[in-house]
Amino acid sequence: MAILEVRDLSAGYGPIRALDGVSIDVGEGETVAIIGANGAGKTTLLMAIVGVVPARSGSVAFQGRPITGLPTHVVSRMGIGHAPEGRRIFPRLSVRENLELGGFTQTDRQALKRDIDEACGMFPVLGERMAQMGGTLSGGEQQMLALARALVGRPKLLLLDEPSLGLAPLIVERIFDVIGSLAKRGISVVLVEQNARAALRLADRGYVLETGRVTLTGPGAELAHDRRVREAYLGEG
Amino acid sequence: MFFLQQCLIGLTNGALVALVALGYTMVYGIIGLINFAHGDLIMLGACLALTLVGALGIAAGGGAATWAGVAALVLLCGLFCGGLNVAVDRIVYKPLRNAPKLAPLVSAIGVSFIFMNAGLFWLGPADRSFPDLVPSTNLLAHDGLQFTLKDLLVVLVVVPLMVGLSLLVRTTRLGKAMRAVSQDPVAAALVGVDVDRVIAATFFIGGFLGGAASVIYGLYINTIGFQMGFQNGLYAFTAAVLGGIGSIPGAVLGGLVIGLVRALSSAYVGERWTGAIVFAILIVILVFRPEGLLGRRTREKV
Ligand SMILES: Nc1ncnc2c1ncn2[C@@H]1O[C@H](COP(=O)(O)OP(=O)(O)OP(=O)(O)O)[C@@H](O)[C@H]1O
Ligand SMILES: [Mg+2]
Repeated sequence: MAILEVRDLSAGYGPIRALDGVSIDVGEGETVAIIGANGAGKTTLLMAIVGVVPARSGSVAFQGRPITGLPTHVVSRMGIGHAPEGRRIFPRLSVRENLELGGFTQTDRQALKRDIDEACGMFPVLGERMAQMGGTLSGGEQQMLALARALVGRPKLLLLDEPSLGLAPLIVERIFDVIGSLAKRGISVVLVEQNARAALRLADRGYVLETGRVTLTGPGAELAHDRRVREAYLGEG
Repeated sequence: MFFLQQCLIGLTNGALVALVALGYTMVYGIIGLINFAHGDLIMLGACLALTLVGALGIAAGGGAATWAGVAALVLLCGLFCGGLNVAVDRIVYKPLRNAPKLAPLVSAIGVSFIFMNAGLFWLGPADRSFPDLVPSTNLLAHDGLQFTLKDLLVVLVVVPLMVGLSLLVRTTRLGKAMRAVSQDPVAAALVGVDVDRVIAATFFIGGFLGGAASVIYGLYINTIGFQMGFQNGLYAFTAAVLGGIGSIPGAVLGGLVIGLVRALSSAYVGERWTGAIVFAILIVILVFRPEGLLGRRTREKV
């Protein structure tokens, strides 16, 4: 059964139609890549799934339950984690407090501590920066914090919006390693990426988004070999 | 000795200003709204306090009974102002959350007028005297220096409230959520924070502090009137800006500074110059430190 079902979803901003009847599915434990040019509507799609951007029509179901129109915090508490575009860590909270907020709904202090330790195990540098303010971290460290913060909430589904943007190759590799390990831990992933090559290599399936519509979909490897994808997103041609 | 006395008066008054300033700074910190109705909310708190003194039969000089009465006043007026503040947020500001900043601001001015009219209804047009439940007995064995029972009352109410607030904001789950919402409400919602509830809690706390301040104001100044909200609100707002609006320690510092300046300028320059001097100092400080004494220099708004 699909953990996430998006059906004919439309959304926008004032007169702008950013999403125009998008349908995607994410299977249990599956990693799905969404690729597309700037302004294609990738961020809007993720934000519409969690209700930050209201849906104008269409529906979203999570684990078979409709979540269209639910407030964002309710969707989050159902088990959807989100590492949003631009990281959006809390700049004037310490790294520890940022991580604690990731587990905001976890009331068992011991369990929260374990979850934070586990997240720091994946990104040891965060463990060394616990008392530092989030805003003083480097870009790469902030991205790790955003990912770790989302993981502390023990999501069943994780939405990642361009986690590799602007980062050095070594850090990108580290972050993709972690994303690749999520499936083994039973976490389904929606990965939005400009770095289409890496994303499609990692993903079970992919969707190509163009001006708010899905124009192409298929298994990751297949998409990576598609002529149109290679020309438009892999810089070949 | 005279100077020391003026400083004492200034600090006590300043503590009261700070309590009101906190209401401005907390609401601004969380939703970026200058809540113009806050001063008038406190006026309504004072109305309730006056009514309750009669209704509960709280009398002066009753020792423990009087103090218990005062504590009940602080609690009830705190709850009243906190609740009223939350109701106003729900009804007036919440529907305007995504509207241009000017809309809630103008609405706040409207709420201020509505409150003032309610106060006019409640108290009548003339100033009313507030019962002198706590006498001005000097607690110091010194003729030149006065620290009265009234001053002690201010300290006894203000200090625990401020310590409590500081602990709440720094150490509790709600406090962490409040700071998160003030920095990035969308990111806070994404981790499961119910942003509207956190905002409501902030309005409640700000209102509660204002309600407590209204009782102390009545007991300390002994005169209340339906127009008291404007001037007191203005001084408290000034204190919040002076300290750096959005900053909790800033509001406390700003309140104390304003209290001191008011007391010293009344003593050395003359009462009628006080307002001018306070605002001249505000302007000078803002010219050199636009973000206020303890405010942040850069706003990293996403
Ligand atoms: N807050 C907003 N207000 C108005 N228009 C917006 C807003 N956010 C996005 N848009 C518009 O909606 C469309 C889709 O934007 P979106 O951010 O979803 O694209 P994207 O695929 O994430 O792009 P990028 O790769 O650059 O992040 C764009 O045309 C954009 O200009
Ligand atoms: Mg985007």
